[in-house]
Amino acid sequence: MFWLWTAMAMGAVAFSVLLVLAILAISGYPALGILHRWIIGAAGNRFNLAASMADACPLLLTGLAAGVAFRSGVLNIGAQGQFLLGALVSVALTTRVIFPGPFWCVIVGAMAAACIAGGMWALLASVLERYRGVPVVLSTILLNFVALYLVRAALHGPLQAADTSAPQSPQLKIIYWLPILITNTDFHLGIPLAFAVAVAMAVVLGRTNFGFELLITGLNPRVARLVGMPVVRRQFAIMFLSGCCAGLGGAVQVLGVTHFMLGNFGNYGYTGIAVALLGRLNPIGIAIAAVFFGMLDTGSRFVEESSLALPHQMANVVKGVIILAMLVASAWMMRRGSRVRSPEAGVNQNPADPQQVQS
Amino acid sequence: MNIIGESLGTFLARQTVQAATPLIMAGLGELLAEVTGVINIGIEGLMLMGCIAGYAAAGISGSGGVGLGAAILVGMGTAAVFAGVTVWAAADQIVAGAAVNILAVGASGLAWFFYQNAREAAHRSVSLGRHVGFQSEAIPGLSRIPFFGPMLFDQYMLFYAAIILAVLIWLLLHHTRTGAILRALGDAPEACQAAGISVRTWRTGAVLFAGACAGAAGAYLSIMRTHAFASDMTGGQGFVVLSLVIFGRWTIPGLIAGCLLFGGINSLQQTLQTTRYTSHSTLMHALQYIPFEFFQMLPYVVALLALATLSRSSPGPRYLGQAWRQ
Repeated sequence: MFWLWTAMAMGAVAFSVLLVLAILAISGYPALGILHRWIIGAAGNRFNLAASMADACPLLLTGLAAGVAFRSGVLNIGAQGQFLLGALVSVALTTRVIFPGPFWCVIVGAMAAACIAGGMWALLASVLERYRGVPVVLSTILLNFVALYLVRAALHGPLQAADTSAPQSPQLKIIYWLPILITNTDFHLGIPLAFAVAVAMAVVLGRTNFGFELLITGLNPRVARLVGMPVVRRQFAIMFLSGCCAGLGGAVQVLGVTHFMLGNFGNYGYTGIAVALLGRLNPIGIAIAAVFFGMLDTGSRFVEESSLALPHQMANVVKGVIILAMLVASAWMMRRGSRVRSPEAGVNQNPADPQQVQS
Repeated sequence: MNIIGESLGTFLARQTVQAATPLIMAGLGELLAEVTGVINIGIEGLMLMGCIAGYAAAGISGSGGVGLGAAILVGMGTAAVFAGVTVWAAADQIVAGAAVNILAVGASGLAWFFYQNAREAAHRSVSLGRHVGFQSEAIPGLSRIPFFGPMLFDQYMLFYAAIILAVLIWLLLHHTRTGAILRALGDAPEACQAAGISVRTWRTGAVLFAGACAGAAGAYLSIMRTHAFASDMTGGQGFVVLSLVIFGRWTIPGLIAGCLLFGGINSLQQTLQTTRYTSHSTLMHALQYIPFEFFQMLPYVVALLALATLSRSSPGPRYLGQAWRQ
């Protein structure tokens, strides 16, 4: 099953890359030259490889955020907002609050606060569903926009850098930057941290009672209640954990890569959904998918900066086609093979199903 | 107080309808698709494809009509991919919709790059000519009615089309056999199949229609209300459409009310942003101390509050989001 899945993923990747290259070739661009530069840019040397890993890092954490929710059937589309709030909180703590204590306490504190901020923001959606019947899929989408404008208001107001009129925070003090582990590259401490989170998730979700309860309460609340699981608490835990991952992703991106925050801070939350699916909602799979997406991004920026100057958005075409191809292939495989439902087929379903909302 | 020679109320009313038009148009399609049981969160991407297709086709052909047609076709084409994946391969609709969004960001960026290059190579301007693209069309006589005239009869062509379409879809859904089938597809697909109706074919039709509507709504953004393209020009409006359809409880009057409410708050916040510094009224003066981001946030907060407080009398199509395996 694992190998079949891997083969399918490779096939989908090959298909989407070929499709984009074919479009480029038809439009009169040197497709092979682009592919060559894309690969060099993604993994040609240790600098580019480290840059790819740095690009993968926030995607891994938002991917885990989407993965932990989706595998329990909770449609948390809100990793984007949770990611932004995590980034915002970590910027606020490292630029506007004076901590007594050594620098690493500040870094750890900022990351922990970002986790909690992301988790609480996600929890808001859970509470709205539980007590007011607002579907999570809807409230998380709306909360993304609320978070976006909250961030912009803060970056225009109390967090704005002194020397600019743009919505932009000042740069963090260098002591608060996450340490670079491999000299002269972008490989910062946040990268192994993100992978450690993925491993921890794999253990907790796959090997503990708690993880099993999260799965069951999400997929079948009625069964969970009948066997005496604390359903409401576990449902809240799913969202909190999911938001924590996304919030941590925001903090790691700020502390490790950008070192300041802009009003426009990427689409890592939305891309995380795609990463989670490509990784089969499994933490280790998500890590592999995130590294691959990071390579696509880094490589496409290399192509954009090279003489070809193709827009880096072409990486998004590849990503979109990969997911669609994977969806079709796995559906086809499921129909041919066993009648066992794949994890993402369990992602249910009716955002307004009253039975789900009540239980 | 005067803004371009009309009262603030009239101005706001016209702006409200202008802001609501793309939401209504895209919402009608999404509503029909959701009634048949297919939820497409890729509507944002479909609108973005409509934006670039409409703009590029209008720029190349020099005709706004061609642009609108191209936007509709590209919207349908992208929706066809979505339909193939979700309706025919029975894959998860939320994930496929998210993929369509990502794909659209990439495809529109690439298309915009190709368009700019092609225009520069041909030594033509990248921006649209003065007479390319649509202007608002005042209906003679009716547009002179105070307040309601500018609001309802001095709009872009797509607004009139959307209203006619809304009436037609309402009639279709509630007074015809086709409408009964469409609603049954979302509530009882097994009954449809038993009656010899192909669930997949009908759902595909609904998704394609939604694609056409979203494409047209995208063209409204790039060649009607403004004559420009930017890579983030939909700015989340597709997601807003998605929530407004559910907000309106899958009814057309509910959808239109939601769109007008959203458009109203949005145009109010935009007007506040531009007039609060110049106005002499005390209220406007006080408002300038509130960061304008909070006004931008307002429509989303209102939508959340409305969802949290309104009664949940209609749970929506029973099989919404679930694939039909034959």
